[in-house]
Amino acid sequence: MQIESRLLVEIRDRLARLDANSGNGWANGREEAAGAFESLGLPSTRSEAYKYTQMTKRVKDVLSLDNAGTLIDTTSAFTDVPGIHFSTVNGLLTESVAAGSLPKGLTVSSLSEAYAENRIALDDHLARAFDPDRDAFSSLAAASAEDGILIHVAAGVSIAQPVILHHDRVANSGLVQPRLLVVAEGDSSIKVIEHFGDSGSGSAFENRIVEMISATGASVDHLVVYERGREATFVNGLHVYQEERSHFATNTITLGGGMVRNNLHFLPDGEECETHLNGLYIAKGSMHVDNHTFVDHAKPNCESNELFKGIVTDKAVGVFNGKILVRQDAQKINAYQSSKSILLDRAASIYAKPELEIYADDVKCSHGATTGELDDDALFYLRARGIRPEAAKLMLLEAFARDVVDLVDVDAVKDYLYSRLHSILTETAS
Amino acid sequence: MLTINNLHVSIEEEQKEILKGLNLEVKPGEVHAIMGPNGSGKSTLASVLAGRDGYEVTEGSVTFDGEDLLELEADERAREGLFLAFQYPVELPGVSMANFLKQAVNSVREHRGQDVLSAGDFLKLMKEKAAIVSLDPSLKARAVNEGFSGGEKKRSEIFQLALLDPKLAILDETDSGLDIDALRIVADGVNGLRNENRSFVLITHYQRLLDYIVPDFVHVLVDGRIVLSGGKELALQLEEKGYDWIKDEQTQTA
Repeated sequence: MQIESRLLVEIRDRLARLDANSGNGWANGREEAAGAFESLGLPSTRSEAYKYTQMTKRVKDVLSLDNAGTLIDTTSAFTDVPGIHFSTVNGLLTESVAAGSLPKGLTVSSLSEAYAENRIALDDHLARAFDPDRDAFSSLAAASAEDGILIHVAAGVSIAQPVILHHDRVANSGLVQPRLLVVAEGDSSIKVIEHFGDSGSGSAFENRIVEMISATGASVDHLVVYERGREATFVNGLHVYQEERSHFATNTITLGGGMVRNNLHFLPDGEECETHLNGLYIAKGSMHVDNHTFVDHAKPNCESNELFKGIVTDKAVGVFNGKILVRQDAQKINAYQSSKSILLDRAASIYAKPELEIYADDVKCSHGATTGELDDDALFYLRARGIRPEAAKLMLLEAFARDVVDLVDVDAVKDYLYSRLHSILTETAS
Repeated sequence: MLTINNLHVSIEEEQKEILKGLNLEVKPGEVHAIMGPNGSGKSTLASVLAGRDGYEVTEGSVTFDGEDLLELEADERAREGLFLAFQYPVELPGVSMANFLKQAVNSVREHRGQDVLSAGDFLKLMKEKAAIVSLDPSLKARAVNEGFSGGEKKRSEIFQLALLDPKLAILDETDSGLDIDALRIVADGVNGLRNENRSFVLITHYQRLLDYIVPDFVHVLVDGRIVLSGGKELALQLEEKGYDWIKDEQTQTA
């Protein structure tokens, strides 16, 4: 408990100061999250959920919430994509968003400003998608986050252009633990794209908590492209809450980082929800990429679709754990899961585990997990047409990976990803 | 063009000898048919010539256009002008026909010292060659062989043959799974591609294909060896009497 205690001392110290100054609205939530973190403790290697991913070891190296040190300027991407752009420092907005500068019905602000303004009932939304007892890293982030970003779209409003968060600057030391809250009120729609630029040799450690709420009839489309450098660590806690007839889609594309854990939780808590969760990762060198997904079907007549693909080479490690829970009352659920990975090197490894837990009797669920090398027959077919082995390999890898990128619906972002895949995989195939 | 001398081939994993001293000489412009019962080694011959992994040549040699064919990798053989029309063309989801064909054509052209084709010229070439086997040129937007009917797959193989313009084409059971109309289209395509420089090796179980593509020579492959060679009339004899007749004769000779 030594690490936990040290972090908790820091967290409680900060909370005490905060209470005295401002009566910050989510201090109670933070206190509760700190309590949850205290009782959960950081996962050891004996913990089933972190068996293959020794994240706790990485925390030891940065053991502080203090990230006042140097900032790493990372490489931006798709800055020219039509959209509503924001840059962040340590996951927070760099400046206040001027009133009137956004489409009507859309709010993008810091959580603290939104609280002070009190126009949007944040207490109704915060911690609605997130259960502090679920995961130690998310509760640590929830307890630690001093501020965050709110993206809110009012009922009935559709925001056509995507809101694009460029997570361009990040501290080189300390735990960076921001909070992001996205709320799509009833019958609204919004697209959120997040980009984590290449941090080169900087050693950023980001442990974030993201809560997304798609209210009745609303639609949220979310994309994360993570391209930090090899020294970077990322724990990405996404917690999604859906009301009836809502639509939620997220695509998690991990192309960088040294150690990455995506914790993706979905709670379609109303009838006729649609949930799409897709992901792609390419792990090279000594990268370690772990995707843990959990779809909790609590209500009947919902549909979820999951597709995760990975390419693992060199000494890299890929982990996929996809859990689907269909609760007893959740009849007429269609839940599909597919995870496919390609292993290109004998020293590389993949641990894939689908978990279906079904307590309702009238459901359609399926899962498929495949791990293999590139298909020899396919390679031979291409080579029998004069195509060189490296080019043949590249064609097959690109085809495999593009499948997930095809699901991105902003063309300019899709093109960016196609060209990134091409250059990453060209290196891999040669 | 192609000289196969005393070729012995085993399957690597099974240590089982499939070809047991095969001899064949194919001159430019000639069409040779290799017929034989199931398990005689026909497809092994096609695979070994095209350079598929998993086979071990234990004895003998193969010379292609003056070069030691067995020293070349599969893709080098294709660039040198050897083409295999697959018995079972592989489906490649996500790989578009257009990208696949462009890469194939350009690797071969580059090897021959020809310019890489512009997008416009490539499209023109595709249209022209697709017409040879009545293929809809809109197939270029589809993934390689994915969702193609059996007939489309075989026609697409001949279309690729036409695009790559090889010196030697080996057709492995191209007639299998084709109805009579598709067979005629494929045969007409192949006949249109015959010329004094291009040679063909047709590997087939049945004589049917040879009604449409008339060979110069017919060889009978039994148990890894060519046991009988003759002109096109030999195919008719086989159709009439079956392979047992030859097997019996073999036994008697032995």
